[in-house]
Amino acid sequence: MPRRMRKFGWAALCAAVLLGLYYAIDRWTGPDPVRIEVVIKSTDNSMDFWKVIHDGVRVAADEFGVEAKVTGSLNEADVEQQIAAVDAAIARKPDAIVLAATDRDRLVPVAERAAKRGIRLIILDSGIASERAISTVSTDNIKAGREAGAVMLEQLKGTAGPSKVAVINYMSSAASLIAREQGVREVLQGDGITILGPYDAEGLQDNAYEIAKRVIREHPDLTGIVGLNEPTSVGAGRAILDLGKEGDIRLIGFDSSMNEIKLLERGVMQATIIQKPFQMGYLSVKAAVDVIRGGPGSVPKFIDTGSLVITKQNMYEEENQKLLFPFYE
Amino acid sequence: MRLPFKFRSFQTNVALAFVLVILMATAIMSITSYYLSRDSVQSNTQSYTTELVKQVNKNLKSYVSGMLYISDLVAGNPAVRQYLASDAAAGSAKEAELKRNLEDFLESMLISRTDIASVNVIGADGRLVSGLRDQSLNPYTDIRSMKWYRDAIQAGGANVISSSHVQPIFKDRYPWVVSLSRALMSKDGQLSLGVFLVDLNFSVMNDMVKDIKLGQRGYLFIVDREGKLVYHPQQQLIYSKLKTELIEQVLAVQNGTFTSHEGSESRMYTVQDTGFGWKIVGVSYVSELVANQDRMRLSFVFLGLVCIAIAILIAVYLSRRVTRPVRQLEKYMKEVEQGNFDLHVPVPKTIEIGRLARAFNLMVGRIKELMRETIAVQEQKRQSELSALQAQINPHFLYNTLDSIVWMAESDKPKEVIVMTSALAKLLRASISKGEELVRIGNEIEHIESYLKIQKMRYSDKLDYLIEVDESVRHYLTIKVILQPIVENAIYHGIKKKRGQGWIAVTSEETDADILLHVEDNGGGMDEETLRTLLLPTARRPEGKGVGVRNVHERLQLYFGAQYGLSYASVPGEGTKATIRFPKKTAAEARESER
Repeated sequence: MPRRMRKFGWAALCAAVLLGLYYAIDRWTGPDPVRIEVVIKSTDNSMDFWKVIHDGVRVAADEFGVEAKVTGSLNEADVEQQIAAVDAAIARKPDAIVLAATDRDRLVPVAERAAKRGIRLIILDSGIASERAISTVSTDNIKAGREAGAVMLEQLKGTAGPSKVAVINYMSSAASLIAREQGVREVLQGDGITILGPYDAEGLQDNAYEIAKRVIREHPDLTGIVGLNEPTSVGAGRAILDLGKEGDIRLIGFDSSMNEIKLLERGVMQATIIQKPFQMGYLSVKAAVDVIRGGPGSVPKFIDTGSLVITKQNMYEEENQKLLFPFYE
Repeated sequence: MRLPFKFRSFQTNVALAFVLVILMATAIMSITSYYLSRDSVQSNTQSYTTELVKQVNKNLKSYVSGMLYISDLVAGNPAVRQYLASDAAAGSAKEAELKRNLEDFLESMLISRTDIASVNVIGADGRLVSGLRDQSLNPYTDIRSMKWYRDAIQAGGANVISSSHVQPIFKDRYPWVVSLSRALMSKDGQLSLGVFLVDLNFSVMNDMVKDIKLGQRGYLFIVDREGKLVYHPQQQLIYSKLKTELIEQVLAVQNGTFTSHEGSESRMYTVQDTGFGWKIVGVSYVSELVANQDRMRLSFVFLGLVCIAIAILIAVYLSRRVTRPVRQLEKYMKEVEQGNFDLHVPVPKTIEIGRLARAFNLMVGRIKELMRETIAVQEQKRQSELSALQAQINPHFLYNTLDSIVWMAESDKPKEVIVMTSALAKLLRASISKGEELVRIGNEIEHIESYLKIQKMRYSDKLDYLIEVDESVRHYLTIKVILQPIVENAIYHGIKKKRGQGWIAVTSEETDADILLHVEDNGGGMDEETLRTLLLPTARRPEGKGVGVRNVHERLQLYFGAQYGLSYASVPGEGTKATIRFPKKTAAEARESER
């Protein structure tokens, strides 16, 4: 009898070992998840733009079955904090880092560090002065500028006499704004329109307001203002309202905010060119995943996420509501 | 084709049979349960999706029915009708009172309803009365151009539920809502007095569906009657054409399921109609089901292999167990084959093999008995033959000897008489002996000496003899009366036929195992024919001649075995030499073997 017991014992042991092996293999062969770190400019909850990017990142991560962790500086101006965030991301050894740089030059060294560790770098929205990035996912700002210029031309058709358009910049060093200005200038100059500026608001909405007021006073024949981003557009709008010039001076802005929507509704601002942050978030993660799974050649060097012209007429259209009135999930 | 040796073994066959049976059973069970599980996974996924979609439908409906309830209350409320039907001028005291009544009523609708964003009544002239008293109207929006307003007027008194949208009618507020609007008709049902609007916070619906996941990537979306997306997790991707959704197909389906044909990206759509114009759609990725299937298939294959491995172990063990008694029996049979009948096979518990073992035991016992009987019969036969052969004493010799004694007595030769008579007496005593088969060679020599003495006296000058047997051989045993017939033959057929003096020599020779006794004479010898037939069995040789000699040969062979006996060499005219060969055997050995 003990001999038989021993045999059954052996059989049971074999079975147990095989089963154990099976579950071990089962666990170990589970695919190692792709991990992507997304470092954005602002993690502040009041920043619609970055929250929508976050949504896009999350939807893409779910769809492609990857892990995407979003970090960044709380404030867009805090470059040091973002550098620290990138370093922390590098320490977690991700497969790729998606970076929206707060500063073109100061983030170059940390990007080099990431590249040295073999981490793929994808640029989101704003880039760095380095060729390390495999792909850049952002709005084609020259194109967006041309769109703004085209809308301005359209608006100026109704006005008599020669046209004079002021361009207000937010920060003269910002690459994206320079590109927009270039686009606007291309279209307007091609049509023989006098361009004033660009005036530098030096990062403050109030400066933009003051500049707009001054320009309107100095140039009574001014027919249009282009604000290259949200604060400059709102500042210019406020100036037009305060001087009672709504309708006389055409205002074309960029981006969207509650204040811009109000300006649109009131007819102070004729159009705003909006970006598509959800697409940016989604496509940057998609690009990272494609690079990880398909190699650097599998994504284009530049991915345009597109821009959209919003006017009072189309602002409540189904397809634009989500862009203008972000609904966070 | 011959099977390899291994496959002809009983145990291997039994093990193979076990393995095959278990293999087939495992394979059939694995395959069956794989397909059953696969189907159940698929139908589970489907029914899970259906259940989920139904649950969402139920919850959505509860919100919508809440709005419908409010709508019915408002439509049936006199305060509403009074306000809308009154022609009191705006700003007048009466208008203000009616407005206050209406506001009180609408405000009461909002109490403890966090899901409702606002309840409003809009007059045909665009006046708005809201349950939210502290909200002022957005001056830059035209209520009557709103889609929900136009739809309500068009529907003529029926409830209209909008898609999700931004409601901009209040100043500084842009909430995402789902609107229920309804034209409030005059009593005769002809005129529209105004429009009632209730807005539901879209976030309550959004919260309900946003976390729903169908598998890894599956999702849920809601589409309205016109194909506009009420909710879709990837709404923006669809608007910018990065993704497509099969809206048209969804609208064509009432309730039920269909699968898109997009290859590896095929999706399974589960559509549920809400009854108020919306459709809830659960979308699962077919490839995920397939991925699960692959995993499941792997599991089944592996578990099947584990089962088979265990089955092989068990099969080997069981086959050993089953065949052990058979192999044991085989071992005993081999022993029997080698001649050992003194064994008893232990009877195993297995019924069939037990019967076999019992039968085998019986058989071996029977064979043993039969063999003993055969040996006994043979022994008896040999004994009787032997005694029959020994009984033969030539009466002529006795008669002639006695005649010679009489003759010598008559010739008054008392000395010779004494010698001959005592020799005869010795001879008789030796031949009668004690009835034992074996005698010492010494006895046999004494016997032949007496015989030759008698014969020499009878033939006087014509015969001489010589006996030269070593003392060392004399104590060995031999059967009795073997020399006398040979010597008698030598005298009567050799010496007597020869002229002149004849002699006979009896000598001995010893080898390692045997003793040889030679009887040599210088008689007439034998021709080859006689020599050849001399020792042949009785039936095959001419009558009468050499009966005694053959008798000796047959007795030696009977007693000691076929390799022993008598042999002759002869040259005609010169003499004959007979040789008796038998094994060395002492008295002690003889007693030993008898035991």
